[in-house]
Amino acid sequence: MKRRTFVGAVGGSAVAGFAGCLTRDGENDQGNGNGTGTGDPEPEDPDLEGELRVATYESMVDGEDPAGPWLKEAFEEAYSDAELTWTVPNNGINDYIDREQQGADIDADVYLGANVDDLVRVDDNLDDGGLLRDLNVDRIDRADRIRDGLDMGDPHGRVLAYDTGYICLVYDENVVDEPETLDDLTVPAYEDALLAQNAQQSDPGQAFLLWTIDAYGEDGYLDYWQGLMDNGIRVLNDWSESYTGAYMEGDRPMVVSYSTDQVFANQYDYDMSRHQIAFPNDQGYANPEGMGIFEGASEVDLAYEFLDFALSSDAQAQIAQRNVQFPAVAAEHVDLDEEFDRYAHVPPEAVTIGYEELRGSLDGWIENWAREFASQ
Amino acid sequence: MSRPDWSVRVAGLRQRSTAVRRWLEHHALSLTALATAGVLAVMLYLPVGVVFVNAAFDDGVATFAFFREVLTDPFYFGVLADVFAEPLAVRTHLESLLGWLAAVSVSVSLEYPIPGVPLPIPWPSLETPGIRKGLFGFTAYQAALSTVASVALGLSAAYILANYEFRGRRTLRSLTILPFVLPGIMVAVGFYAMFGRTGTLNQLLGIAGVGPYPFIEWNPLAIVIVAHAFYNAPLVARVTVAAWESVDVRTVETARSLGASPRRAFRDVVVPQLLPAVLTGALLTFIFTFMTFPIVLALGGLQLATVEVWIYDRVRRLAYSEAATLAVLETILSLGLTYAYLRYESAQSGLARGATSPSRTPLFPDLRTALSPRRLAIVGYGLVTLIVFVGPMASLVVGGVTDGSGFTTRHYAFLLERQLEGADYQTLPWIAIRNSLLFGLATLAVAVPMGIVVSVVTVRADRGGAIVDTLAMLPLAVSGVVFGIGLLQGLVFGIPLPGGWRIQVTGAVAIVAAHAVAAYPFVTRNVSPLLANLDPAMVESARALGASRYRALRDVELPLVASGVVAGTAFAFAISIGEFSSTVILASGGDTYTMPVAVERYLGRRSGPAIAMGTVLLVITAASFVVVDRVGGRFER
Repeated sequence: MKRRTFVGAVGGSAVAGFAGCLTRDGENDQGNGNGTGTGDPEPEDPDLEGELRVATYESMVDGEDPAGPWLKEAFEEAYSDAELTWTVPNNGINDYIDREQQGADIDADVYLGANVDDLVRVDDNLDDGGLLRDLNVDRIDRADRIRDGLDMGDPHGRVLAYDTGYICLVYDENVVDEPETLDDLTVPAYEDALLAQNAQQSDPGQAFLLWTIDAYGEDGYLDYWQGLMDNGIRVLNDWSESYTGAYMEGDRPMVVSYSTDQVFANQYDYDMSRHQIAFPNDQGYANPEGMGIFEGASEVDLAYEFLDFALSSDAQAQIAQRNVQFPAVAAEHVDLDEEFDRYAHVPPEAVTIGYEELRGSLDGWIENWAREFASQ
Repeated sequence: MSRPDWSVRVAGLRQRSTAVRRWLEHHALSLTALATAGVLAVMLYLPVGVVFVNAAFDDGVATFAFFREVLTDPFYFGVLADVFAEPLAVRTHLESLLGWLAAVSVSVSLEYPIPGVPLPIPWPSLETPGIRKGLFGFTAYQAALSTVASVALGLSAAYILANYEFRGRRTLRSLTILPFVLPGIMVAVGFYAMFGRTGTLNQLLGIAGVGPYPFIEWNPLAIVIVAHAFYNAPLVARVTVAAWESVDVRTVETARSLGASPRRAFRDVVVPQLLPAVLTGALLTFIFTFMTFPIVLALGGLQLATVEVWIYDRVRRLAYSEAATLAVLETILSLGLTYAYLRYESAQSGLARGATSPSRTPLFPDLRTALSPRRLAIVGYGLVTLIVFVGPMASLVVGGVTDGSGFTTRHYAFLLERQLEGADYQTLPWIAIRNSLLFGLATLAVAVPMGIVVSVVTVRADRGGAIVDTLAMLPLAVSGVVFGIGLLQGLVFGIPLPGGWRIQVTGAVAIVAAHAVAAYPFVTRNVSPLLANLDPAMVESARALGASRYRALRDVELPLVASGVVAGTAFAFAISIGEFSSTVILASGGDTYTMPVAVERYLGRRSGPAIAMGTVLLVITAASFVVVDRVGGRFER
């Protein structure tokens, strides 16, 4: 009952030639299909025993001082009959969309780390409201702790935010002044100053692009970007290359990055004057990260408990500090280190483009933007 | 059981085992060929086919629509898109070509190419009305420039390594392919650390009182080309050195004794023997840089995007039909070029018998010689290699022991701690090291025979051979992103069979097979030009004396092309160590990750731990290359 009904290799390796293995798809492989919103009633006697498989991203388990190991240990302590195992898919949610499309088996119960655009991609490629279950929020007692504005806008209610980051500009105050507005970035004072990331494949890159779409509209953002291009913006591959490569080696004085940058600068004794935070237009783009339960999950009860557990005060503090993101719950439900509070900055206004607007538009926006750059 | 009975039986067994051995010996070649075909079918043609089908079928119906859409899009094909849209309107196309030519003008202006130095140089500039290259055109353009740079740098290295004797020459030769194994992100970080505004080069210049210069910002395209040369010049050098060392000196001596000047003898005797190898290096470089992906975006930015960048984006957006269409076009281009080259290569056969290797002269015998123009040019070249090759790698190593505030050992402490205390779902350094080395050795065992068999099968067959050989080069010509997604969908998810069954191929054996598939073309391309240069009469006489084809190969041909086999072996090992995209897919969820995968996984908010792991990768592979070459060197003359 614990494991998917999987009939193991029948002399598999011999038949398949090499590391091949021959498996048979289980009968009850796929879960309850598209939820109708009334699914997952709270059971009288929840089954809290077994192996909970949580899919997430690399830095949750493999970075420096990641939150993953803490979560596993604390969860297993709280639920003594449960075991938490981490899975890290290579292409994030895409792997599961692919698997669903190919009718392959999905080896996880919970997905930790879904962005709004992940949900959009799921729905653009699978049936609307697919892959993850419609959550029965009543089963998650701590769900009402989540701050306003972190509602991820999914009409199917598949995810809850567990943390959020803000995209902003990080600058070297020895070279440039703080830009007051996004418009400032197109004036001569900021010529050849800004580093951004490719929105085609980088989260902060995409967030910055969406921020400009929020500010200048679907019809105006390309003109604004033309202005940035004329002013010599450089768009590199992803965050690591633009930040650790170009920015840290002093090639440019300003980079699109996270508003928690100073936490690291403080932790690693970097020169703080080179790690100033700017919120042009008094804004920052919010990128909440969400968690949900797969439709075909085999440990549904445990999965609900995990979601609730991730919103507990201890878990929120650990996730925030180790992931260096902001907690999803309101301030009274979480105690953060003084240093974190001091160096992690929150923008006066958080902007974000919700599910409804992204749906059906996101790919086109990015494609048009990228073509503008790469036209030779 | 009586004694005579027993001895008869032993004799019978012995006879049978001899018969089996002889049978094996006679069929060794065809068996290896069969196994090669099997591995290729499962690990290459199946996954690639799974994705390529998307380009030609729309909901199960064959269609040309995807191709038409891409071919006629000016974004992809620039001015050619019009031609593809209306291939028959020849007159219109000719008229627009003439109009363009009429607008071309040449002017000469004074330029100051070295910033800060008032040195006027007359600079011819070609004024063209601008030509829209499109993504494909630009990709080919930067690949051509990268190839020229790689060949220029690589040939010089080959010349020095093949003709001069100096301390550490063998070790240096072994290390030439080291840059080849570095993950793209490491190269990018190394380049910023070397050429950035606060990088090593500017710090050195600062000591001399000049700078700092924004080397990367000046001309991103130039930096990308240098980075491509960083990867590929070693490849050109390695392939060419192998050929140079098997040049038959007696042919040179004969030419000289017939009155040819050294220059003339070089041009008429040595150059034709080197040319196939140089062109092999150029071809591989062009194909690699045509399909370049992380380097252009990391150093050059989105303005320099290539076709592969778009393929990656399409795959990420799950738009497989467009991704597959772009990948098919990319593959057709690469294979077309390969075919053209292979036709040339097969026309070059039967040049030499291969025997006495050239002798080397000491590089710096005495001070007088050391000051000769040729030696000074070599010193100048040495400086260039220091900046382009040693600089980024050394800056990387330094980056592993420094932090924002100075010297630190905490990146290595991280590795040690992870090894000692890491959980089983985390990436442990030792397992990565162990896997890399084991997979590397296993890859050699599979890829070297595969590569040699493909060489043998194709070298003497004329046009048909070139076609088979071209198809055998598919692993190089197909997009890495597409191959990865094919492995995922075809082998990891499994192919559905009737009755609810699925066939899946994952784990260590699949990784080795994928590495072998990626690596054997290098063995083939190193061995084939040398094999083609051998006189076919030698094999024929061996066969006439009763040797099996395998015996003839083992005892006659291989010893004569040993330098190519060793070079190919080193490449196969390098490919296996450096391979990332298929390994990461096939290794997911197990403990079969390798060093480059670990580097990528340690890349977090700070690059320190990843750089430390990258340094470990550098040191261990450097040591392995020296061992591979020393062991391999015993088979060379």
